[in-house]
Amino acid sequence: MDVPAESEPSGQSGSPVSPALPAWTELALDDVSMTFNAGKAGEYAALTNTNLRVRRGEFYCLLGPSGCGKSTVLNLIAGFLRPSAGTIRMGDRRIVAAGTDRVVVFQDATNALFPWLRTQENVEFGLSIQGITKDDAADRASEYLDLVGLRDHAHKYPYELSGGMKQRCQLARALVIEPEVLLMDEPFGALDSITKRILQGELLRIWRELGMTIVYITHDVSEAVLLGDKVAVMRRGPGSSIKEEFVVDKLHPRKSTDEAMVALYARVEASLQQEVGVSLDAV
Amino acid sequence: MRSRLLRFLGRVATTAISLSLALLAWAAFAHYFAYPDLVPTPLATFETGAQMVRSGALLDHVAISLQRILVGYGAGCVLGIAIGTLMGRIPIVAQFADPLLQLMRPISPVALVPLSIIWFGIGDLSRYFIIFYAVVIIMIMNTAAGVAATPNIRLNAAKCLGARPRQVFLHIVIPSALPYILTGMRVALGFAFMGIVAAEMIAAQSGIGYLIMQSRTLLRTDIMFVGLVTLGVLGAIIDGCFKLAINRTMKRFMEHQVNV
Repeated sequence: MDVPAESEPSGQSGSPVSPALPAWTELALDDVSMTFNAGKAGEYAALTNTNLRVRRGEFYCLLGPSGCGKSTVLNLIAGFLRPSAGTIRMGDRRIVAAGTDRVVVFQDATNALFPWLRTQENVEFGLSIQGITKDDAADRASEYLDLVGLRDHAHKYPYELSGGMKQRCQLARALVIEPEVLLMDEPFGALDSITKRILQGELLRIWRELGMTIVYITHDVSEAVLLGDKVAVMRRGPGSSIKEEFVVDKLHPRKSTDEAMVALYARVEASLQQEVGVSLDAV
Repeated sequence: MRSRLLRFLGRVATTAISLSLALLAWAAFAHYFAYPDLVPTPLATFETGAQMVRSGALLDHVAISLQRILVGYGAGCVLGIAIGTLMGRIPIVAQFADPLLQLMRPISPVALVPLSIIWFGIGDLSRYFIIFYAVVIIMIMNTAAGVAATPNIRLNAAKCLGARPRQVFLHIVIPSALPYILTGMRVALGFAFMGIVAAEMIAAQSGIGYLIMQSRTLLRTDIMFVGLVTLGVLGAIIDGCFKLAINRTMKRFMEHQVNV
């Protein structure tokens, strides 16, 4: 199979269920459908024949209008949900449950962090339940708290942290167990715009340093094109799937005023605009 | 530090004033309006109480009542937490148990006294049962609510950090439910104190409930008042200790648990 080309329409049925994957593949969704409450009242087909390939080490942005099933894709990859049809693979393994190779950073940090544990203890959680000794876990947690710049706040409880610091804590907690894929569900969506930009920069720095694969969900076009190697636009639900993919080949740091970036932004937004159905240019 | 001390002193002062006023009102009422045989003065009550303390009778009654509360309350908490946890974790269990609980909830422990005597005899077993019943229902309901209220995101976060089902349960579900469980235990303690009187009023030869009932046949309202005051003071002290213990050891679980 070839590298998914830019703007290649995906989501077509008829492709083989489990084609052999090229070595660069980190994640593969093949003809994945997800229907909630199947056969019951409130049946809802969130995804229909969704196909996607994420390369190892890639920063993959999933962009779509509200309610289009972005989070469903992420929950499927995370293993929190099982697809109604189709396969989800990581390398050559099928994903059937949550695992430490794919860790999620949630938008709702208040509920995602464990409120009775200090920042340091939150980061140690994934290590200590694996049976790693307290000293080793503490050392490694400290290392990652340094990486995200939370060293001075290690003793605080989550409620004592600002929104941005909570997301740094979630990031450290996820990275400390060294996952291959970081799944981020609108992680900076609830932050003010300045904090958001700072954290976007930090995330890119950490991504370059550690080289993990990132699947990043957002509804913000500028965030997607500024961060991603690839930006996938999803169709409007129900029965959503990947509509088209855009490759962003500009090196970081990217300037949103750069001519090529402006042009790309316009194309991605036009693609999204078709799915939203309502004009985004009213203001 | 200074403001904490001031706040503490303020609390002591308001408590002292509140209790003194109540005592004064009681004394005035007993002195000016009531027959001494119907409403004993605070002083008379105190003298009777002091005498009962000296003879050891009051402590015997208190000890036996506390022992009964301890057994019934302990059993009620353990079983209530266990059943409530099952209900909170397994929806089908909750669906079967909930209608039954709703039917049992309005049945007061007092209404079960005759039945429990027939079932368990006039010994302590029937009294344990009454207190157990007073405690277990609220413990089931609070635990089930707490376990079910664990935010999904928190469970998912633990799962993808590698927690197995047993670890999710021990490290996430239980801590998340603790505020509900501990609050339930405090309320249930109050229920146990109400239950003990019902349990000891019939067919008992000891305990504070027996003391109160017995003083009715002797027309000794002063002893009755000693019993009532003892119940109130004991309950308040034990609840205060419980609250203090929670604040000392469980503070991190009690505060800032946001369930959106």
